[in-house]
Amino acid sequence: MAEERPLPPLHEDELPFWEGARRGELLLPRCGDCQHTWWPPGPVCPECLSDRVEWRRASGRGVVASWVVFRRRLVPGFEPPYNVAWVQLEEGPRLVANLVDVPLEEIRTGMPVEAVFQRLTDEVTLVQFRPRRQSS
Amino acid sequence: MAGLDVSGRVAVVGVGMSRLERRSPRSNLALAAEALKEALRDAGLTKGEIDGLVTNIGHPLGVDYDRLAEAFGLRLCYSEQTWTHGRFMGPALQHAVLAVAAGLARVVACLVGIRFSRPGHIGGPRDPEATRQGGGSHGEAPHYGIVTPGAGAAMAWRLYLSRYGGRPEDLAAVPIAIRKHASLNPQAIMRTPITREDYLNAPFIIEPLRLLDCCLVSDGGACVIVASRERARDCRQPLVFVLGMQGMRAGREEFVFGRPGLGAWQQSVSDDLEREHPVYGMAGVEQKDMDGLYVYDAFAPQVVFTLERFGFAGPGEGLAWVQDGRIELGGELPVNTNGGLLSEGHVSGWNHVVEIVRQLRGECGERQIPGARLLQWATTFGDSLIFGRE
Repeated sequence: MAEERPLPPLHEDELPFWEGARRGELLLPRCGDCQHTWWPPGPVCPECLSDRVEWRRASGRGVVASWVVFRRRLVPGFEPPYNVAWVQLEEGPRLVANLVDVPLEEIRTGMPVEAVFQRLTDEVTLVQFRPRRQSS
Repeated sequence: MAGLDVSGRVAVVGVGMSRLERRSPRSNLALAAEALKEALRDAGLTKGEIDGLVTNIGHPLGVDYDRLAEAFGLRLCYSEQTWTHGRFMGPALQHAVLAVAAGLARVVACLVGIRFSRPGHIGGPRDPEATRQGGGSHGEAPHYGIVTPGAGAAMAWRLYLSRYGGRPEDLAAVPIAIRKHASLNPQAIMRTPITREDYLNAPFIIEPLRLLDCCLVSDGGACVIVASRERARDCRQPLVFVLGMQGMRAGREEFVFGRPGLGAWQQSVSDDLEREHPVYGMAGVEQKDMDGLYVYDAFAPQVVFTLERFGFAGPGEGLAWVQDGRIELGGELPVNTNGGLLSEGHVSGWNHVVEIVRQLRGECGERQIPGARLLQWATTFGDSLIFGRE
Protein backbone atom coordinates (compact mmCIF):
# COMPACT_ATOMS: atom_id res chain seq x y z
CA MET A 1 0.00 0.00 0.00
CA ALA A 2 1.23 3.48 -0.85
CA GLU A 3 2.43 5.61 2.02
CA GLU A 4 0.06 8.43 2.82
CA ARG A 5 0.66 12.13 2.66
CA PRO A 6 2.14 13.29 6.00
CA LEU A 7 -0.13 15.16 8.37
CA PRO A 8 1.17 17.85 10.70
CA PRO A 9 1.29 16.98 14.40
CA LEU A 10 -1.12 19.28 16.24
CA HIS A 11 1.22 20.67 18.91
CA GLU A 12 -0.28 22.13 22.09
CA ASP A 13 1.06 25.61 21.43
CA GLU A 14 -0.54 25.71 17.98
CA LEU A 15 -4.06 24.39 18.62
CA PRO A 16 -5.82 27.75 18.10
CA PHE A 17 -4.14 28.03 14.69
CA TRP A 18 -5.46 24.63 13.61
CA GLU A 19 -8.93 25.38 15.00
CA GLY A 20 -8.95 28.62 13.01
CA ALA A 21 -7.84 26.88 9.84
CA ARG A 22 -10.71 24.39 10.19
CA ARG A 23 -13.11 27.37 10.22
CA GLY A 24 -11.37 28.95 7.23
CA GLU A 25 -9.59 31.62 9.26
CA LEU A 26 -5.87 32.36 9.36
CA LEU A 27 -4.96 33.14 12.99
CA LEU A 28 -1.60 34.45 14.15
CA PRO A 29 -0.28 34.74 17.71
CA ARG A 30 -0.11 38.36 18.90
CA CYS A 31 1.16 39.59 22.25
CA GLY A 32 -1.50 41.11 24.51
CA ASP A 33 1.17 43.21 26.22
CA CYS A 34 3.58 44.46 23.54
CA GLN A 35 1.46 43.79 20.41
CA HIS A 36 4.22 41.82 18.70
CA THR A 37 2.99 39.32 16.10
CA TRP A 38 5.20 36.32 15.54
CA TRP A 39 5.68 32.92 13.89
CA PRO A 40 6.17 30.04 14.56
CA PRO A 41 3.81 29.91 17.55
CA GLY A 42 5.05 29.45 21.08
CA PRO A 43 3.63 29.67 24.59
CA VAL A 44 4.96 33.18 25.30
CA CYS A 45 5.79 36.31 23.32
CA PRO A 46 9.40 35.97 22.07
CA GLU A 47 9.90 39.74 22.54
CA CYS A 48 8.66 40.27 26.11
CA LEU A 49 7.92 36.72 27.37
CA SER A 50 4.33 37.68 28.17
CA ASP A 51 1.89 34.79 28.61
CA ARG A 52 -0.89 36.86 27.05
CA VAL A 53 -0.90 35.13 23.68
CA GLU A 54 -3.91 36.37 21.69
CA TRP A 55 -4.82 34.71 18.43
CA ARG A 56 -5.79 37.40 15.93
CA ARG A 57 -7.34 36.89 12.55
CA ALA A 58 -4.89 37.88 9.83
CA SER A 59 -5.84 39.45 6.51
CA GLY A 60 -4.64 36.39 4.64
CA ARG A 61 -2.83 38.68 2.22
CA GLY A 62 0.86 38.45 1.51
CA VAL A 63 3.51 38.18 -1.15
CA VAL A 64 5.78 35.33 -2.21
CA ALA A 65 9.09 35.88 -0.40
CA SER A 66 10.88 32.79 -1.73
CA TRP A 67 9.95 29.52 -3.41
CA VAL A 68 11.52 26.29 -4.59
CA VAL A 69 10.52 23.51 -6.93
CA PHE A 70 11.05 19.92 -5.84
CA ARG A 71 12.20 17.85 -8.80
CA ARG A 72 12.65 14.63 -6.82
CA ARG A 73 9.98 12.47 -5.27
CA LEU A 74 10.77 12.69 -1.57
CA VAL A 75 7.46 12.91 0.27
CA PRO A 76 4.47 10.58 -0.10
CA GLY A 77 1.52 12.38 -1.67
CA PHE A 78 3.68 15.00 -3.41
CA GLU A 79 4.30 14.32 -7.09
CA PRO A 80 7.22 16.28 -8.55
CA PRO A 81 7.52 18.87 -9.82
CA TYR A 82 5.76 20.79 -7.05
CA ASN A 83 6.39 24.10 -5.32
CA VAL A 84 6.90 25.17 -1.71
CA ALA A 85 6.99 28.85 -0.81
CA TRP A 86 7.63 31.23 2.04
CA VAL A 87 4.84 33.80 2.08
CA GLN A 88 5.47 37.19 3.64
CA LEU A 89 2.21 38.14 5.38
CA GLU A 90 1.00 41.72 5.74
CA GLU A 91 1.21 41.25 9.51
CA GLY A 92 4.98 40.57 9.35
CA PRO A 93 5.68 36.86 9.82
CA ARG A 94 6.41 34.46 6.98
CA LEU A 95 4.57 31.16 6.59
CA VAL A 96 5.55 28.06 4.64
CA ALA A 97 2.90 26.83 2.19
CA ASN A 98 2.25 25.52 -1.29
CA LEU A 99 1.14 27.97 -3.97
CA VAL A 100 -2.02 26.65 -5.60
CA ASP A 101 -3.89 27.61 -8.77
CA VAL A 102 -0.66 28.79 -10.41
CA PRO A 103 1.60 27.04 -12.95
CA LEU A 104 5.23 26.69 -11.84
CA GLU A 105 6.47 28.91 -14.66
CA GLU A 106 4.29 31.80 -13.48
CA ILE A 107 5.55 31.91 -9.90
CA ARG A 108 7.56 35.05 -9.12
CA THR A 109 9.14 36.50 -6.03
CA GLY A 110 6.95 39.34 -4.79
CA MET A 111 3.79 37.90 -6.37
CA PRO A 112 0.71 38.96 -4.34
CA VAL A 113 -1.11 35.98 -2.82
CA GLU A 114 -4.03 35.26 -0.52
CA ALA A 115 -4.78 32.43 1.87
CA VAL A 116 -7.01 29.53 0.90
CA PHE A 117 -7.85 26.52 3.01
CA GLN A 118 -7.17 22.92 2.05
CA ARG A 119 -9.04 20.38 4.12
CA LEU A 120 -7.08 17.14 4.50
CA THR A 121 -8.96 15.38 7.33
CA ASP A 122 -11.61 16.23 9.93
CA GLU A 123 -8.84 17.58 12.15
CA VAL A 124 -6.39 19.06 9.69
CA THR A 125 -6.96 21.92 7.29
CA LEU A 126 -3.84 23.44 5.74
CA VAL A 127 -3.42 27.12 4.99
CA GLN A 128 -2.29 27.48 1.37
CA PHE A 129 -1.91 30.51 -0.90
CA ARG A 130 -3.08 31.41 -4.40
CA PRO A 131 -2.33 34.43 -6.59
CA ARG A 132 -4.47 37.48 -5.85
CA ARG A 133 -5.31 40.32 -8.17
CA GLN A 134 -3.55 43.54 -7.14
CA SER A 135 -6.87 45.30 -6.49
CA SER A 136 -8.22 42.76 -3.98
CA MET B 1 37.54 40.60 33.91
CA ALA B 2 39.23 39.02 30.94
CA GLY B 3 37.94 35.65 29.72
CA LEU B 4 39.87 32.43 29.65
CA ASP B 5 43.01 32.97 27.57
CA VAL B 6 42.71 30.35 24.85
CA SER B 7 44.53 31.73 21.83
CA GLY B 8 47.61 29.68 21.02
CA ARG B 9 47.35 27.58 24.17
CA VAL B 10 45.86 24.47 22.59
CA ALA B 11 47.31 22.49 19.69
CA VAL B 12 46.00 19.90 17.29
CA VAL B 13 48.51 17.08 17.79
CA GLY B 14 47.05 14.32 15.66
CA VAL B 15 44.55 13.79 12.86
CA GLY B 16 43.18 10.72 11.14
CA MET B 17 40.48 9.64 8.75
CA SER B 18 39.02 6.37 7.59
CA ARG B 19 38.66 5.57 3.94
CA LEU B 20 35.72 7.56 2.53
CA GLU B 21 33.08 5.78 0.47
CA ARG B 22 29.67 6.44 -1.04
CA ARG B 23 28.43 3.40 0.86
CA SER B 24 30.66 1.60 3.32
CA PRO B 25 29.97 -1.99 4.30
CA ARG B 26 31.70 -1.33 7.63
CA SER B 27 30.02 -0.24 10.85
CA ASN B 28 30.06 3.31 12.18
CA LEU B 29 32.26 2.06 15.00
CA ALA B 30 34.70 0.46 12.56
CA LEU B 31 35.02 3.76 10.67
CA ALA B 32 35.68 5.59 13.95
CA ALA B 33 38.26 2.96 14.98
CA GLU B 34 40.24 3.41 11.78
CA ALA B 35 40.27 7.20 12.22
CA LEU B 36 41.23 7.00 15.91
CA LYS B 37 44.14 4.64 15.28
CA GLU B 38 45.48 6.81 12.49
CA ALA B 39 45.24 9.94 14.64
CA LEU B 40 47.04 8.22 17.55
CA ARG B 41 49.83 7.09 15.21
CA ASP B 42 49.99 10.56 13.72
CA ALA B 43 50.36 12.14 17.16
CA GLY B 44 52.64 9.47 18.60
CA LEU B 45 50.20 8.93 21.46
CA THR B 46 48.72 5.81 23.02
CA LYS B 47 45.02 5.53 23.72
CA GLY B 48 45.69 5.55 27.45
CA GLU B 49 46.74 9.19 27.13
CA ILE B 50 43.30 10.23 25.83
CA ASP B 51 41.26 11.51 28.78
CA GLY B 52 38.62 13.54 26.94
CA LEU B 53 36.21 12.71 24.12
CA VAL B 54 33.91 14.90 22.05
CA THR B 55 31.51 13.86 19.31
CA ASN B 56 28.76 15.58 17.36
CA ILE B 57 27.13 12.71 15.51
CA GLY B 58 25.44 10.12 17.72
CA HIS B 59 23.29 7.06 17.06
CA PRO B 60 21.90 6.09 14.59
CA LEU B 61 23.86 8.23 12.12
CA GLY B 62 27.04 7.84 14.15
CA VAL B 63 28.16 6.45 17.50
CA ASP B 64 27.36 7.88 20.93
CA TYR B 65 30.19 9.01 23.23
CA ASP B 66 29.66 6.24 25.80
CA ARG B 67 29.82 3.51 23.19
CA LEU B 68 32.94 5.04 21.62
CA ALA B 69 34.59 5.09 25.05
CA GLU B 70 33.53 1.53 25.83
CA ALA B 71 34.43 0.09 22.45
CA PHE B 72 37.89 1.65 22.40
CA GLY B 73 38.71 1.11 26.07
CA LEU B 74 39.02 4.80 26.90
CA ARG B 75 38.99 6.13 30.47
CA LEU B 76 37.55 9.62 30.25
CA CYS B 77 37.31 12.50 32.68
CA TYR B 78 35.67 14.76 30.10
CA SER B 79 33.02 13.68 27.59
CA GLU B 80 30.61 15.63 25.47
CA GLN B 81 28.11 14.94 22.71
CA THR B 82 26.17 17.60 20.85
CA TRP B 83 22.86 17.46 18.99
CA THR B 84 23.43 15.18 15.99
CA HIS B 85 24.01 17.67 13.19
CA GLY B 86 27.02 18.37 11.00
CA ARG B 87 26.82 22.03 11.96
CA PHE B 88 28.03 21.13 15.46
CA MET B 89 31.48 20.16 14.27
CA GLY B 90 32.83 23.63 15.05
CA PRO B 91 31.18 23.96 18.46
CA ALA B 92 32.29 20.40 19.38
CA LEU B 93 35.89 21.19 18.48
CA GLN B 94 35.63 24.45 20.43
CA HIS B 95 34.47 22.53 23.51
CA ALA B 96 37.47 20.24 23.20
CA VAL B 97 39.77 23.27 23.03
CA LEU B 98 38.05 24.92 25.99
CA ALA B 99 38.21 21.73 28.05
CA VAL B 100 41.96 21.56 27.52
CA ALA B 101 42.46 25.29 28.16
CA ALA B 102 40.43 25.08 31.37
CA GLY B 103 42.27 22.00 32.59
CA LEU B 104 39.24 19.69 32.52
CA ALA B 105 41.17 17.28 30.32
CA ARG B 106 44.73 16.96 29.04
CA VAL B 107 44.25 15.24 25.68
CA VAL B 108 40.84 15.30 23.97
CA ALA B 109 39.90 13.19 20.96
CA CYS B 110 37.17 14.54 18.71
CA LEU B 111 35.84 11.42 17.08
CA VAL B 112 33.10 10.42 14.64
CA GLY B 113 32.13 7.42 12.52
CA ILE B 114 29.25 8.42 10.26
CA ARG B 115 27.19 6.64 7.62
CA PHE B 116 24.92 9.08 5.81
CA SER B 117 24.19 6.32 3.29
CA ARG B 118 21.86 4.56 5.69
CA PRO B 119 18.14 5.39 5.60
CA GLY B 120 16.63 7.84 8.02
CA HIS B 121 19.44 10.36 8.02
CA ILE B 122 19.11 13.96 9.09
CA GLY B 123 16.57 15.96 7.15
CA GLY B 124 15.20 13.01 5.22
CA PRO B 125 11.48 12.49 4.72
CA ARG B 126 11.23 10.25 7.76
CA ASP B 127 13.35 12.39 10.06
CA PRO B 128 11.34 12.86 13.28
CA GLU B 129 12.98 16.26 13.77
CA ALA B 130 11.06 17.56 10.75
CA THR B 131 7.84 17.42 12.76
CA ARG B 132 9.10 19.15 15.88
CA GLN B 133 7.05 22.15 17.04
CA GLY B 134 7.95 25.20 14.99
CA GLY B 135 9.32 23.18 12.06
CA GLY B 136 12.53 21.36 11.24
CA SER B 137 15.83 23.14 11.72
CA HIS B 138 16.42 23.57 7.97
CA GLY B 139 12.83 24.70 7.36
CA GLU B 140 11.28 21.25 7.01
CA ALA B 141 7.49 20.87 7.04
CA PRO B 142 6.64 17.44 5.59
CA HIS B 143 2.91 18.25 5.37
CA TYR B 144 3.83 20.86 2.75
CA GLY B 145 6.22 18.46 1.02
CA ILE B 146 9.32 20.34 2.20
CA VAL B 147 12.02 18.07 3.59
CA THR B 148 15.82 17.78 3.52
CA PRO B 149 18.42 20.41 4.45
CA GLY B 150 18.81 21.29 0.77
CA ALA B 151 15.32 22.80 0.66
CA GLY B 152 16.33 25.47 3.16
CA ALA B 153 19.49 26.21 1.19
CA ALA B 154 17.44 26.46 -2.02
CA MET B 155 14.98 28.88 -0.38
CA ALA B 156 17.85 31.05 0.83
CA TRP B 157 19.58 30.97 -2.56
CA ARG B 158 16.39 32.08 -4.34
CA LEU B 159 16.22 35.03 -1.91
CA TYR B 160 19.80 35.93 -2.76
CA LEU B 161 19.24 35.77 -6.52
CA SER B 162 15.99 37.74 -6.30
CA ARG B 163 17.57 40.43 -4.15
CA TYR B 164 20.91 40.95 -5.82
CA GLY B 165 20.40 39.65 -9.34
CA GLY B 166 23.34 37.71 -10.69
CA ARG B 167 23.23 34.80 -13.08
CA PRO B 168 22.16 31.53 -11.42
CA GLU B 169 24.68 29.61 -13.54
CA ASP B 170 27.56 31.60 -12.02
CA LEU B 171 27.20 29.49 -8.88
CA ALA B 172 28.95 26.79 -10.95
CA ALA B 173 32.26 28.40 -9.96
CA VAL B 174 31.90 26.95 -6.46
CA PRO B 175 31.47 23.24 -7.24
CA ILE B 176 33.99 23.53 -10.11
CA ALA B 177 36.68 24.97 -7.79
CA ILE B 178 36.02 22.47 -5.03
CA ARG B 179 36.00 19.52 -7.46
CA LYS B 180 39.30 20.73 -8.89
CA HIS B 181 40.74 20.51 -5.39
CA ALA B 182 39.25 17.04 -4.90
CA SER B 183 40.92 15.91 -8.12
CA LEU B 184 44.25 16.49 -6.35
CA ASN B 185 43.21 14.58 -3.22
CA PRO B 186 43.63 10.79 -3.46
CA GLN B 187 41.17 10.17 -0.63
CA ALA B 188 38.35 12.26 -2.17
CA ILE B 189 35.33 10.33 -3.42
CA MET B 190 34.61 12.52 -6.49
CA ARG B 191 37.84 13.30 -8.34
CA THR B 192 36.84 13.88 -11.97
CA PRO B 193 37.02 17.61 -12.77
CA ILE B 194 33.75 19.22 -13.85
CA THR B 195 32.97 22.04 -16.26
CA ARG B 196 30.30 24.72 -16.41
CA GLU B 197 28.59 22.58 -19.04
CA ASP B 198 28.54 19.58 -16.69
CA TYR B 199 27.05 21.84 -14.05
CA LEU B 200 24.27 23.08 -16.33
CA ASN B 201 23.56 19.60 -17.66
CA ALA B 202 23.05 18.23 -14.15
CA PRO B 203 19.40 18.14 -13.14
CA PHE B 204 17.75 20.39 -10.65
CA ILE B 205 17.17 18.61 -7.35
CA ILE B 206 15.36 21.35 -5.50
CA GLU B 207 15.27 24.28 -7.90
CA PRO B 208 17.21 26.61 -7.90
CA LEU B 209 19.81 24.05 -6.65
CA ARG B 210 21.24 21.54 -9.10
CA LEU B 211 22.76 18.15 -8.40
CA LEU B 212 26.33 19.51 -8.34
CA ASP B 213 25.35 22.18 -5.79
CA CYS B 214 24.63 19.43 -3.26
CA CYS B 215 27.14 17.66 -1.03
CA LEU B 216 27.81 13.96 -1.15
CA VAL B 217 25.89 11.46 0.88
CA SER B 218 28.81 9.37 2.07
CA ASP B 219 30.32 7.30 4.86
CA GLY B 220 33.50 7.88 6.81
CA GLY B 221 35.22 8.45 10.12
CA ALA B 222 37.49 11.21 11.40
CA CYS B 223 39.51 11.97 14.49
CA VAL B 224 41.14 15.22 15.63
CA ILE B 225 43.22 15.12 18.83
CA VAL B 226 43.90 18.31 20.79
CA ALA B 227 46.22 18.89 23.74
CA SER B 228 47.76 21.73 25.68
CA ARG B 229 50.77 23.57 24.27
CA GLU B 230 52.95 21.97 26.94
CA ARG B 231 51.70 18.42 26.32
CA ALA B 232 51.92 18.96 22.55
CA ARG B 233 55.67 19.58 22.75
CA ASP B 234 56.18 15.84 23.28
CA CYS B 235 54.16 14.88 20.20
CA ARG B 236 55.85 13.99 16.97
CA GLN B 237 54.23 16.39 14.50
CA PRO B 238 54.86 20.07 13.78
CA LEU B 239 52.39 21.92 15.97
CA VAL B 240 49.21 23.52 14.72
CA PHE B 241 47.55 25.91 17.17
CA VAL B 242 44.01 27.16 17.59
CA LEU B 243 44.47 30.92 17.53
CA GLY B 244 40.89 32.19 17.51
CA MET B 245 37.33 30.96 17.92
CA GLN B 246 33.79 32.24 17.86
CA GLY B 247 30.59 30.35 18.58
CA MET B 248 27.60 29.41 16.51
CA ARG B 249 24.89 32.04 16.24
CA ALA B 250 21.19 31.45 16.87
CA GLY B 251 18.02 33.51 17.09
CA ARG B 252 15.42 35.01 14.81
CA GLU B 253 18.05 36.61 12.58
CA GLU B 254 19.60 33.21 11.90
CA PHE B 255 18.51 30.54 9.43
CA VAL B 256 20.99 27.72 9.26
CA PHE B 257 21.68 27.73 5.51
CA GLY B 258 21.00 31.41 4.77
CA ARG B 259 23.20 34.15 6.14
CA PRO B 260 21.52 36.93 8.16
CA GLY B 261 19.83 39.74 6.26
CA LEU B 262 18.41 37.65 3.42
CA GLY B 263 14.91 37.43 4.86
CA ALA B 264 15.16 33.65 5.17
CA TRP B 265 12.35 32.23 7.32
CA GLN B 266 11.80 34.96 9.97
CA GLN B 267 15.03 36.94 9.36
CA SER B 268 15.01 40.68 8.71
CA VAL B 269 15.91 41.92 5.26
CA SER B 270 19.03 44.04 5.62
CA ASP B 271 22.49 44.64 4.21
CA ASP B 272 23.69 45.90 7.57
CA LEU B 273 25.53 42.68 8.43
CA GLU B 274 27.37 41.91 11.66
CA ARG B 275 30.72 43.65 11.46
CA GLU B 276 32.27 42.22 14.60
CA HIS B 277 33.91 38.85 14.09
CA PRO B 278 35.57 38.01 17.41
CA VAL B 279 37.50 35.14 15.84
CA TYR B 280 39.86 37.63 14.17
CA GLY B 281 40.33 39.69 17.30
CA MET B 282 41.16 36.64 19.38
CA ALA B 283 43.70 35.49 16.80
CA GLY B 284 45.06 39.02 16.29
CA VAL B 285 44.69 38.74 12.51
CA GLU B 286 42.39 39.97 9.73
CA GLN B 287 40.57 38.43 6.79
CA LYS B 288 43.33 39.48 4.40
CA ASP B 289 45.86 37.45 6.40
CA MET B 290 44.13 34.14 5.65
CA ASP B 291 45.94 31.73 3.33
CA GLY B 292 42.81 29.66 2.79
CA LEU B 293 39.23 29.29 3.94
CA TYR B 294 37.34 26.13 4.90
CA VAL B 295 33.59 26.36 4.69
CA TYR B 296 30.74 24.03 5.68
CA ASP B 297 29.81 23.46 2.03
CA ALA B 298 26.76 21.24 2.39
CA PHE B 299 25.40 23.26 -0.55
CA ALA B 300 27.25 25.53 -2.97
CA PRO B 301 25.53 28.76 -1.82
CA GLN B 302 27.11 28.25 1.61
CA VAL B 303 30.46 29.37 0.18
CA VAL B 304 28.98 32.64 -1.12
CA PHE B 305 27.05 33.24 2.10
CA THR B 306 30.06 32.54 4.31
CA LEU B 307 32.36 34.88 2.34
CA GLU B 308 29.78 37.64 2.82
CA ARG B 309 29.03 36.82 6.44
CA PHE B 310 32.69 37.06 7.41
CA GLY B 311 33.36 40.21 5.39
CA PHE B 312 35.56 38.76 2.63
CA ALA B 313 32.92 40.06 0.20
CA GLY B 314 30.25 42.70 0.68
CA PRO B 315 26.54 41.83 0.81
CA GLY B 316 25.46 40.70 -2.64
CA GLU B 317 29.04 40.66 -3.94
CA GLY B 318 29.91 37.07 -3.09
CA LEU B 319 28.68 35.48 -6.29
CA ALA B 320 30.86 37.77 -8.40
CA TRP B 321 33.70 37.35 -5.89
CA VAL B 322 34.02 33.57 -6.40
CA GLN B 323 34.43 33.81 -10.20
CA ASP B 324 37.62 33.44 -12.26
CA GLY B 325 39.51 31.04 -10.02
CA ARG B 326 39.62 33.33 -7.00
CA ILE B 327 38.67 30.46 -4.62
CA GLU B 328 40.82 27.88 -6.40
CA LEU B 329 44.34 26.79 -5.47
CA GLY B 330 46.60 29.50 -6.83
CA GLY B 331 43.81 32.05 -6.42
CA GLU B 332 43.48 34.79 -3.85
CA LEU B 333 41.71 32.63 -1.25
CA PRO B 334 41.64 28.87 -1.87
CA VAL B 335 38.44 27.38 -0.40
CA ASN B 336 38.12 23.77 0.77
CA THR B 337 41.35 22.44 -0.70
CA ASN B 338 40.37 18.92 0.40
CA GLY B 339 37.38 18.90 -1.92
CA GLY B 340 34.91 19.74 0.80
CA LEU B 341 31.61 18.10 1.58
CA LEU B 342 30.77 18.64 -2.09
CA SER B 343 33.47 16.34 -3.48
CA GLU B 344 35.78 14.82 -0.85
CA GLY B 345 33.00 13.43 1.33
CA HIS B 346 30.65 14.40 4.14
CA VAL B 347 32.43 13.77 7.42
CA SER B 348 30.57 16.62 9.05
CA GLY B 349 33.42 19.06 8.37
CA TRP B 350 35.96 17.11 10.43
CA ASN B 351 37.56 16.26 7.08
CA HIS B 352 38.11 20.01 6.58
CA VAL B 353 39.87 20.26 9.95
CA VAL B 354 42.08 17.28 9.07
CA GLU B 355 42.96 19.10 5.82
CA ILE B 356 43.67 22.38 7.63
CA VAL B 357 46.13 20.61 9.91
CA ARG B 358 47.84 18.79 7.04
CA GLN B 359 48.07 22.03 5.03
CA LEU B 360 49.66 23.87 7.93
CA ARG B 361 52.18 21.05 8.30
CA GLY B 362 52.92 21.23 4.57
CA GLU B 363 51.84 17.62 3.90
CA CYS B 364 49.41 18.19 1.03
CA GLY B 365 51.59 17.54 -2.03
CA GLU B 366 49.99 18.67 -5.27
CA ARG B 367 47.24 20.58 -3.51
CA GLN B 368 49.50 22.27 -0.96
CA ILE B 369 48.86 25.99 -0.42
CA PRO B 370 52.46 27.26 -0.66
CA GLY B 371 53.69 28.53 2.69
CA ALA B 372 50.26 28.24 4.38
CA ARG B 373 50.47 29.83 7.84
CA LEU B 374 46.92 30.87 8.72
CA LEU B 375 43.76 28.96 7.79
CA GLN B 376 40.19 29.60 8.84
CA TRP B 377 37.12 27.42 9.38
CA ALA B 378 33.87 29.38 8.95
CA THR B 379 30.21 28.65 8.37
CA THR B 380 27.00 30.30 7.24
CA PHE B 381 25.73 29.85 10.81
CA GLY B 382 28.53 32.00 12.19
CA ASP B 383 30.95 29.76 14.08
CA SER B 384 34.62 29.91 13.21
CA LEU B 385 38.11 28.82 14.23
CA ILE B 386 41.45 30.15 13.03
CA PHE B 387 44.43 27.82 13.00
CA GLY B 388 48.09 28.68 12.64
CA ARG B 389 51.41 26.90 12.60
CA GLU B 390 54.16 27.76 14.98
